[in-house]
Amino acid sequence: MKRTLAMLALGFSLALAQTRGGELRVAILAEPPVLDPTASTSQEIARMLYDNVLQGLVKFNEKGEIVPALAERWQGSPSSLTWTFYLRKGVRFHDGSPFTAEDVVYKFNRARDPRSGHTHPEYYQDIQSVETKDPYTVVFRLRQPNQDFLFNLARPDSVIGPKGRVEAQRTNPIGTGPFRFVAWERGVGVRLERFEGYYEPGLPYLDRVFFRFLPDANAQIAALRAGDIHVIGLGVSPENALVLGRDPAFKVVTGFTTTEITAGMNNSRPPFNDPRVRRAIQHAVDKKALVEGVMLGYGTPIGSHRSPGESCYEDLSGYYPYDPARARALLQEAGYGPGNPLRFTFTLAAPYPYERRLGEAIAAQLGQIGVQARLEVVEWATWLSRVFRGADYQMTIIGHSEPNDIGIYANPNYYFRYDSPRFRELYTQYLRTPDPKRACELMKEMQRLLAQDAVNLWVMNAPYLAAMRREVMGWWTNQPTPSLNVTRVYLAR
Amino acid sequence: MRGFLLRRLLLALFTLWLSATLVFAFLLLLPGDPVQAILGLEASPEARAALERSLGLDKPPLARYLDWLEGVFRGELGESIRYGKPVAELLWERLPLSLALVLLGLGGSLALSLPLALLALRFPLWDLALSGLMAFLQSLPTFFLGVALLYLLAVHLPLLPASGFPGWERPLEALRHLLLPAFTLALSRAALLFRMARASLLEVLSQDYIRTARAKGVPEGRVLWKHALKPASLPLVTLLGLEGGFLLTGAVVVEAVFALPGLGSLALTALEARDYPLLQGLVLAMACLIVLFNLLVDLLYGLLDPRVAYA
Repeated sequence: MKRTLAMLALGFSLALAQTRGGELRVAILAEPPVLDPTASTSQEIARMLYDNVLQGLVKFNEKGEIVPALAERWQGSPSSLTWTFYLRKGVRFHDGSPFTAEDVVYKFNRARDPRSGHTHPEYYQDIQSVETKDPYTVVFRLRQPNQDFLFNLARPDSVIGPKGRVEAQRTNPIGTGPFRFVAWERGVGVRLERFEGYYEPGLPYLDRVFFRFLPDANAQIAALRAGDIHVIGLGVSPENALVLGRDPAFKVVTGFTTTEITAGMNNSRPPFNDPRVRRAIQHAVDKKALVEGVMLGYGTPIGSHRSPGESCYEDLSGYYPYDPARARALLQEAGYGPGNPLRFTFTLAAPYPYERRLGEAIAAQLGQIGVQARLEVVEWATWLSRVFRGADYQMTIIGHSEPNDIGIYANPNYYFRYDSPRFRELYTQYLRTPDPKRACELMKEMQRLLAQDAVNLWVMNAPYLAAMRREVMGWWTNQPTPSLNVTRVYLAR
Repeated sequence: MRGFLLRRLLLALFTLWLSATLVFAFLLLLPGDPVQAILGLEASPEARAALERSLGLDKPPLARYLDWLEGVFRGELGESIRYGKPVAELLWERLPLSLALVLLGLGGSLALSLPLALLALRFPLWDLALSGLMAFLQSLPTFFLGVALLYLLAVHLPLLPASGFPGWERPLEALRHLLLPAFTLALSRAALLFRMARASLLEVLSQDYIRTARAKGVPEGRVLWKHALKPASLPLVTLLGLEGGFLLTGAVVVEAVFALPGLGSLALTALEARDYPLLQGLVLAMACLIVLFNLLVDLLYGLLDPRVAYA
């Protein structure tokens, strides 16, 4: 009996030794301006902190499904106008204060106020009131049904901090997640530490997490090989993925993202205000060849603005089959030919390697039917102000990483300058319908309409490529949300 | 000497003012603004306006410039837009690393190039090989050299850490992290110094007093060390002064490759984020350092060559 117990104890401690403790070091491409996702939409903030440090009422799991976080369960009224959230009891913030319904009310009153400086107040504009019924029950009343209401509550923008704490959250975020924020070393990285008071028993497995800012891809690979870091969290180049994948000391994780790599066309300006030109471009680009040739097989061709891993996805990648002859004919119809070739400027954003090389390859493919795309590489701040805000461009290419973001086409001032009353009507119908099945149909119809109008050239769903040392276990294979979730990650020894 | 110093000081102040002002003007010409960089892609106009107000960016450029200038006179460099911290504080955090890197790089390139130049002059066969090698080194871009060394010395033969900086709390560990980047800088600059040193030594060796020394039977090694090196190092000092400035800017590349939190990488972030106060503070600090380097060179000149008069 004694021996069995000793054996058991030994076995137990071995199992523990394999899974608990240690520091995980993860490379992050860029340093965000602040550490509060409600103050800036920089994706790097969510990458480090979403669900690791900061949580909302609900959250996305690895498959992209909405699951409970700070709300144990919730209930929508049949009209979808009243939503009741039952909060988890006994939850504490990292500063020790208890999490209650008051924090939720404070959060969403701030979020829906456009003057508060909160990111994306439009996500919350259908909220008429937020009230506490008791310390653990919150009731949201909506002005009108909103199909994306729950989805928006799961976004990084919807994380909840202690009531009244706004300024300090920017540099010293306090949340309810499995890790608490320890330090932001400017230019170096962000340190997290296991939060002893976390409500899910036994979690997290790691003692410490260090997100290190490593902007240079070469430096990342070298640091991984030298053992300085354990994980390159995303953006591993396809070549490096192949090389590291063959090395037994490392493993490469590939999955889906919600990023649509989109060659945006300015629908309000020549030459792309002519739908025939836009359609010609669709026929002239061989997306399969781009995936094989440029991305070494990583990535999935798409034909509209939605990713295969998202709900209500409609596969339209074959909507415009690769057909150079058809492309030439369409261009001829629009008045372009050998004597008067189609010429335009193709603006590439310097910091995005996938997009840049895809852009170069697309320009080469277009060149084969006589289209002259002049490549222009601009710095990120320039891209933002000229292309994104000013719509001062002809064609560009960028990854749209936000999940469920088809709504951007309902805004005629968005940089594609796509102005379609029909699309806006569909989108409003989608938002207002309480019936999820009907909403799904509308979502698919929107995707078809975008493809039909050939608003942009949707090239592919960006692959999720991460590389790590072999001992790293429990890393998410997919990126349904921009988060490098380390709650269940451990280091095997 | 005093008049010289005063004139140098006034010139330095003018240089600093001019560089800071030019940077301010150029930043205004560049597209992009800090508010967009902070709020990200899809910020609402209300949020933009609120942030612009709180950062004081709603004021006209001239008013912002004058505010900044006034601040400098009071000894304040303002607050970084991106980091929300005083610029001076950020500079002080990063300065030691960059200075250490530049000094190590300078020292390293001297330590490499001078003995090699002497060696080359003693043995004609070495001369050919070394000149070839140096020409090759000079043609390599710094980032390539950095990455190559990184793979060789940190990944394949794990002698030195690959990147990052642990902070100054453990000085030895900090030094270990700086060795590889400093070596990269040293190698990339050694080529130029080697050629300069070689040419200058050759010239000095053709002088009459060297012939005299040799004729007196002074051993060749002693001729080189004792009589040739000091006068031959004059043009080197000039070059070093210039190199100090170059290294400071060249360190940007090395800091990026080795992910070091120095002034260079801070400048890159500041530029990307259009962080006007931070970038101005940085330019001011770097200009100060370059002016300082040049001043040191001028003073060293007098020590090395008594013929130089401060007029």
